[in-house]
Amino acid sequence: MTHQMHAYHMVNPSPWPLTGALSALLITSGLMMWFHSNSIFLLVLGLITNILTMFQWWRDIIREGTFQGHHTPIVQKGLRYGMILFIISEVLFFTGFFWAFYHSSLVPTTELGGYWPPAGIKPLNPLEVPLLNTAVLLASGVSVTWAHHSILEKDRINAIQALIVTISLGLYFTLLQIMEYYESPFTIADSVYGSTFFMATGFHGFHVIIGSSFLFICLMRQLKFHFTSNHHFGFEAAAWYWHFVDVVWLFLYVSIYWWGS
Amino acid sequence: MWSRERPSRPCFSTPPFDPRFPNQNQTRNCYQNFLDYHRCVKNMDRRGRNPEACEYYQRVFRALCPKSWVQRWTDQLEEGTFAGKI
Repeated sequence: MTHQMHAYHMVNPSPWPLTGALSALLITSGLMMWFHSNSIFLLVLGLITNILTMFQWWRDIIREGTFQGHHTPIVQKGLRYGMILFIISEVLFFTGFFWAFYHSSLVPTTELGGYWPPAGIKPLNPLEVPLLNTAVLLASGVSVTWAHHSILEKDRINAIQALIVTISLGLYFTLLQIMEYYESPFTIADSVYGSTFFMATGFHGFHVIIGSSFLFICLMRQLKFHFTSNHHFGFEAAAWYWHFVDVVWLFLYVSIYWWGS
Repeated sequence: MWSRERPSRPCFSTPPFDPRFPNQNQTRNCYQNFLDYHRCVKNMDRRGRNPEACEYYQRVFRALCPKSWVQRWTDQLEEGTFAGKI
């Protein structure tokens, strides 16, 4: 029987990159059909195939790493680089929306009345729900760190509790934002103010949901004893992502909610 | 040819350099003078004084602004939909 003479992971052939790419095609063309041809079918098909791909691809990675031992230190290093680079790309994504916001708000046009917030816009009070949201996310940053230390110290019960607290805070933030969106006196159609506000906070909220889902998977894995005290990269990746989401919110709060009011 | 009398020249002037708006894009210069004219007229009327002093601002924005903008803003003022603070 031949063995590999290196510590790297030569991954077996997998259909998930192809199904993922196909699902991306279905989603993009599905969006066009939905916008222009009054048909939601392609979009729904795309979303379903996308979720199935994610579920199966990441399930296979867990099998390869946790159950088959392929995630040696050097493989883990590669995964770390990968997650870091992905988060950097997300930073650049949000940079675009912040650029748009500052472009429009630093030199408000005559159509807006030459001032910001524009004529007729009543911005949300930054000291009300937005401040609560800030506290919620900061607290969740503390609890996810508590979870990490619990895992490092082999404290199973505390790790589970801390993950539950973190996920609950994430859900609380999401619920508060949904309520804010519902009660808001302005919509996305209300001048460039509405556009910049809802594009930036909307994508942020989407990332909160992604981060909460990632943490929830970590909770399931922790319950099933996947993590050890010195090998738990999936959790670390989720924690990095969660901190990133928190930092984006802080920028949103200071720029759009506070300075922008 | 050079001994002919020169016709008297009418006085053409143009708005002076405003250091608040030093760059090529003079949109804000036009808009600010439009705002200042209407704010001046509003305050003079409120105090019961002669709005003739506001004429300077009017001459500046009439010189700088495209006529279509002045027309649009004046229509908005009449409709009550003008976005600026007067």
